[in-house]
Amino acid sequence: MSESLLCVLTEDLLVRVLHHLHSDADRKSWRLVCKHLNRVESLTRTTIRILRIEFLLALLHKFRNIQELDLSLCPRIDDGAVKVMLSQGSPGWTRGLKRLVLSRATGLGHSGLEQLVRACPLLEAVDVSHCWGFGDREAAAISCGTRLREVNMDKCLGVTDIGLARIAVGCSRLERLSLKWCFEISDLGVDLLCKKCFYLKVLDVSYLKVTSKSLRSIASLLNLEVLVMVGCSLVDDVGLRYLENGCPLLKTIDVSRCNCISSSGLISLVSGHVDLVQIAAGYCLSELSGPLVHCLKNLEQLSVIRIDGVQVSDFFLQTIGKNCKFIVELGLSKCIGVTNMGILHLVSGCGSLKILDLTCCRSITDAAISTIADTCPDLVCLRLESCDMVTENCIYHLGSSCLLLEELDLTDCSGINDIALKYLSGCSELVRLKLGLCTNISNIGLSQIAYNCRKMAELDLYRCVYIGDDGLAALASGCKKLMKLNVSYCNRITDKGMEYLSHLGELSELEMRGLSNVTSIGIKAVALSCKRLADLDLKHCEKIDDSGFWALAFYSQNLRQKTCYAGNTWFLQPV
Amino acid sequence: MDGSNGGVDQFWVCSVQKHDTVTELRFYMDPKGSLCSNNWARSACLTSPGNGLQTNMSSDPSPFCGVRIEAPFKDFNQPSTNQSLLMAEPNKDIKISDIENCPLTDSSSQTGKLQDWDPNVMLNNLSFLEEKIHQLQGLVHLIDNKKCQPFAQPDALVTQEQQLITADLTSIIVQLISTAGSLLPSVRHTLANTSPLVSQLSQLRGLNLPFGSGPSGGIQPQNNNVNKVFDQSTQNDVPNNCEVEQNNMEEHETKDEEDVEEGENLPPGSYEILQLEKEEILAPHTHFCTICGKGFKRDANLRMHMRGHGDEYKTPAALAKPHKETGSEPKLIKRYSCPYAGCKRNKDHKKFQPLKTILCVKNHYKRTHCDKSYTCSRCHTKKFSVMADLKTHEKHCGKDKWLCSCGTTFSRKDKLFGHIALFQGHTPAIPLEETKVPAAPTDLDSKDNTCDKVGNMNFCFGSNPPNENEVQNIMDVKGNIDDPINYFSSLNFEGCNFGGFNEFSQSPFEDSDASFSFLMSGSFNYAPKPGCESTSDNL
Repeated sequence: MSESLLCVLTEDLLVRVLHHLHSDADRKSWRLVCKHLNRVESLTRTTIRILRIEFLLALLHKFRNIQELDLSLCPRIDDGAVKVMLSQGSPGWTRGLKRLVLSRATGLGHSGLEQLVRACPLLEAVDVSHCWGFGDREAAAISCGTRLREVNMDKCLGVTDIGLARIAVGCSRLERLSLKWCFEISDLGVDLLCKKCFYLKVLDVSYLKVTSKSLRSIASLLNLEVLVMVGCSLVDDVGLRYLENGCPLLKTIDVSRCNCISSSGLISLVSGHVDLVQIAAGYCLSELSGPLVHCLKNLEQLSVIRIDGVQVSDFFLQTIGKNCKFIVELGLSKCIGVTNMGILHLVSGCGSLKILDLTCCRSITDAAISTIADTCPDLVCLRLESCDMVTENCIYHLGSSCLLLEELDLTDCSGINDIALKYLSGCSELVRLKLGLCTNISNIGLSQIAYNCRKMAELDLYRCVYIGDDGLAALASGCKKLMKLNVSYCNRITDKGMEYLSHLGELSELEMRGLSNVTSIGIKAVALSCKRLADLDLKHCEKIDDSGFWALAFYSQNLRQKTCYAGNTWFLQPV
Repeated sequence: MDGSNGGVDQFWVCSVQKHDTVTELRFYMDPKGSLCSNNWARSACLTSPGNGLQTNMSSDPSPFCGVRIEAPFKDFNQPSTNQSLLMAEPNKDIKISDIENCPLTDSSSQTGKLQDWDPNVMLNNLSFLEEKIHQLQGLVHLIDNKKCQPFAQPDALVTQEQQLITADLTSIIVQLISTAGSLLPSVRHTLANTSPLVSQLSQLRGLNLPFGSGPSGGIQPQNNNVNKVFDQSTQNDVPNNCEVEQNNMEEHETKDEEDVEEGENLPPGSYEILQLEKEEILAPHTHFCTICGKGFKRDANLRMHMRGHGDEYKTPAALAKPHKETGSEPKLIKRYSCPYAGCKRNKDHKKFQPLKTILCVKNHYKRTHCDKSYTCSRCHTKKFSVMADLKTHEKHCGKDKWLCSCGTTFSRKDKLFGHIALFQGHTPAIPLEETKVPAAPTDLDSKDNTCDKVGNMNFCFGSNPPNENEVQNIMDVKGNIDDPINYFSSLNFEGCNFGGFNEFSQSPFEDSDASFSFLMSGSFNYAPKPGCESTSDNL
């Protein structure tokens, strides 16, 4: 790119070009072109994710127009750091900040959090999920952000009704709130929340010890669209009946693992909301009763239904196929009674199906999968874990018809072999492929995939014992975007294979348990080149010694989590 | 004597004495002559079924012993309610004989006995008595002689003579008795001693003396009898015991009447007003052992204690609860007045609000008119005059952790949340020294929740009874906000009683049960309090 060309392009044009670059790698390349492009990029950048807290001040100085600050990878951030950020950082960086991600920022205290929230006048979203030490004081600090619309407090274990009340009173414009795993919150808190925050659209009360009383309060929320209440084992049909007449805009409901609800409760819920779009009711019913299926018939807008672990009948699948023309996602994981015939009935009506989960539906055979492949060309995700009867015959249909397929789970499908992988390589859009326990595949099949599925980001080869260095070589040359790789117990892999892997610059998660032929040399190669490596599992890699770990400690600056016991006597946590 | 008999109803203390006289006279006179006995029987409205028995007796002391022995047997034959009554009787007779025997026996021993009671003051009276007794003796000898001589000769002359003698006799005996009565340590004592005998007699003779219209007619004698049993051995303690007995009586009464039916808008005059003295209200114990003097709060405890004083107290009869009278008399509604002048609970107040039970009186008096001597050991600021209030407070002291940003504290979370939901901008405050352990307060909270639920129920229970009186009480409280919490609690206690213990009102529970119900109502006191506080906040 010459100087003159850049002179022609004005800044606003450059910005427009930049908008078309989405992946981090592309943007990185853009930044590296020249100072000018770098400046344009830094000025237009709205989102920043801090990988290492040391660079925080400099980055804040550089990116002045950020709207989203993600500190989730800096768990060491504390009140002192916040003070420094606010006093020594460039003065204006907080002005435009709308979103603050502090997930897992367990070091942060309530005073720091409050300073941070108060410093950002436009703050609209805060994510403090998995800050398990957070309690009411932190919640009170969050409540200082009066413009907040979105708060995620998943697994803030100390937050009680008091904290929730603070947020409910302080942030009355709240639209999205997740309270998952905030075990201390009870009906009282939820009740107050529903009285104070009328604008709530999305509410997640999963795993709370709330009862049907809470649902009565929730039913009064006129704007609620999404209600997630996974694992609320104290909620029963009475609560669902409250919902029948409340929440007029409800589109999505998730009652998975609510042990106390039955078909009758679901019927009342469904009959009150005929325009439901998503239903998730996994593991809460033992079987789908006839009346419930009749009710589901009326849900013409239904696009997602997940009823994992339920006994289903062909009649149900037929009803869905006939009536729910817009169904996009169907989750039948671990459902009992899913037959080829049922699937045939289902897909005959649902041509638009994109995601189908048939995990552990063991009676499914090639015939059903072939039909799915032929009738659902838009299929994006197919999960066939433990479907033993699946062979290369149906993969042929998949590879030739489902060209949009991005995710395929063939874990534990012993019928999958190299030929199947060859057929599958026709799905060039594949991003995630799980071949764990497919013991019949070898380097040849893997090479086919590697060369044809270049968008592959996640590959699971757990216990694919015939996979060796050559397969990894093919992967390294073909799937440059690979981010997650599992090669645990693929014992044929040696240091050479590791060296191939080191060419995968994007690799961030590597599981290599029990690779008894890999030594420190191999790990050193990976450590040296895979700069993004964050998670590394070295359990039972008995030949790796101190030097390998020294290398990791020295080179892998981004390593966050490493698992290494049994045979290794030292534990490093270079975070 | 006729006149005195008619006056029984109104002046029962006095009339009891007269009754006593009547009976004594009968005992005394009957053996002497049937002419007199007829007269007496008519005037005292007493038939004398024991006449034959008594006529056989001579005038020396022994016949009285005979009477003493006989009386219990008669009682046994009756469908009597009370065993203790029997026990008490001999004792009565002993006393009576003590007094009335003096003309017959040597008076010196009698004076000695009397001196034991009140040594110095009554010597004058005694000499007067002596004189009178000699006169009487002479008269009686006269009658006796006449009786012997004209055996069975009822002439008109004789009758006239007899009437004269009778008049003489009457005047002397009246003098004797009034003087003897003044020898007794106190009016109360005589009341306590004599009234049972009268009722006993009335029972014996199957007569309905117009006796029950006294303030506590039916119950009083009984209780006295019970305690009288113990008097036997300790005559010296009599004055003291009598006081005790008096207390006992009232305590029993009120306990019995405590669970009276509700309906506090009684028209004035439809109930009886009793007023205890300050000392009685503040007495720590109301039941005393007559042997060792130890005090007890409950009669049942006293009875248990008595077992240690001898086998006679171990009998089922002695250990049994003193029985209520079997409803022969109409039930009288009793209400209590506070002795404090000017208090709204005082009967002289314009808008007099009577107190329902003796416990109400006690608590009211302590709370309103006494110093608050109990200090909370936790906060060292709150003071109470009733121990139960202190204990209630201490249970919750420091637990008012539910604090609103406006400064209002709540003992219960749901009340705080109700408050916050009600007021715009109010938000829960987080206490400063909060422990950073998320798990520990967790458990506490859940416990609190359950407690709260219980408390909640209790609260509803206590505050629900639609009692006009209570509403008025609340109004009252508004005017008197010196110690709202205290006041509320007392008020609620009453509310609880009204609402909660109606079911007991008709049951034949005895003293011990009544005291248990006291206990229960006392414990009830705890629950409503927090609720009430918060209602006060809501107001």
